[in-house]
Amino acid sequence: MTGQVPDILIDEVVLGLASDADTARVEELALRDADVARRLEQARLRFMALDDTAPVLPIPLGFWDRLRDRLEDATPAQAARAARVVDLARARLRRWQGAAFGGMAAAALMAAMLGWTLLQSPEPAVVAVLLDADGEAVALIEGQPDNTTRVTLLERPDLPAGRVMQVWTKPDADGLPVSLGLLVSGRSDTLTVPGLPAPGASQLYEITAEPDGGSPTNLPTGPILGKGLAKEPVI
Amino acid sequence: MLGIARRMLRRPDLAEDAVQDALVLIWRRSHQFDDMRGSARGWIFTILRNRCLTMLRHEDRGEDGGTDPDDHAVDAAFDDLPRTLDLRRCLEGLEPDTRRAILSSYVLGHSHGEIAGRMNAPLGSVKSWLRRGLVKLRECLS
Repeated sequence: MTGQVPDILIDEVVLGLASDADTARVEELALRDADVARRLEQARLRFMALDDTAPVLPIPLGFWDRLRDRLEDATPAQAARAARVVDLARARLRRWQGAAFGGMAAAALMAAMLGWTLLQSPEPAVVAVLLDADGEAVALIEGQPDNTTRVTLLERPDLPAGRVMQVWTKPDADGLPVSLGLLVSGRSDTLTVPGLPAPGASQLYEITAEPDGGSPTNLPTGPILGKGLAKEPVI
Repeated sequence: MLGIARRMLRRPDLAEDAVQDALVLIWRRSHQFDDMRGSARGWIFTILRNRCLTMLRHEDRGEDGGTDPDDHAVDAAFDDLPRTLDLRRCLEGLEPDTRRAILSSYVLGHSHGEIAGRMNAPLGSVKSWLRRGLVKLRECLS
């Protein structure tokens, strides 16, 4: 098999230097031939450390909505094709099934990507799970030593109109809360505040509902949506 | 994923397109994934890289802009490799031009032709010394 697919060709496929025809041939062979698949995988693993050197970028606003739209668009088209051979009621049902399937697909991908993004991020110095008054987890906070704070909402909060979520922390347990920023989009986001000391264990984090534009006093004024104490992850 | 796509395609909008395309492909092809034949991570990144390469080579969607950002991305990728990693040690053992060519093909998605153009060298020679470099790298890593 080595004669059929030389090592150098495998390397060129992995680097992206091989021609389209060669790449297609090797990838197709890998589906049928376990030896080619193993060699291709080994070559990929050799270079994969270079993927880790790519910058970690925040997900753009609206990314998931656009992805969901695309997945939903794709599936009803298949249902519509089926409608030509089945009756209308069934076609309609299938379209709904299609839409539901698209939604599930988007949800599954989002879950996978969230895990993926977390795996790719630098290890946080602290992690806090924020709980609401009923003890339900509403947000996950991951604080980096430079106070870049990733806020992952675990529930979509029921915010009144004209209110925005503001994230706070207390770097000094006996001091005043400091704003880490606003979740303007109403979605999970990464916030950056310069000039704060590195976060530590037992540091308080909370999210409050503040008037649009943020708290007028620069201290929490609105109802607490969730709060929790940070812990240092065991890595 | 976005970082990988952005490094190859440069423009944030194109990088988002590539990641979205890749995610749709990953969803559609999920039945093809066989964890006996490789890691999910490798499979996902390969789909993304292939999508970026197609955009660069066939859809004329990559942006060509000067050499400086490219050089910087290649140098940064090499510098960010952990010092204890075999790949880094073996890349260090190559001629600087060969190392840069191998890195720019993987990191930036450059073709033989683009590498030859940037190095102002004949295509045939670039192909042959890239191959020699890859053989040397493979020997060092095995």
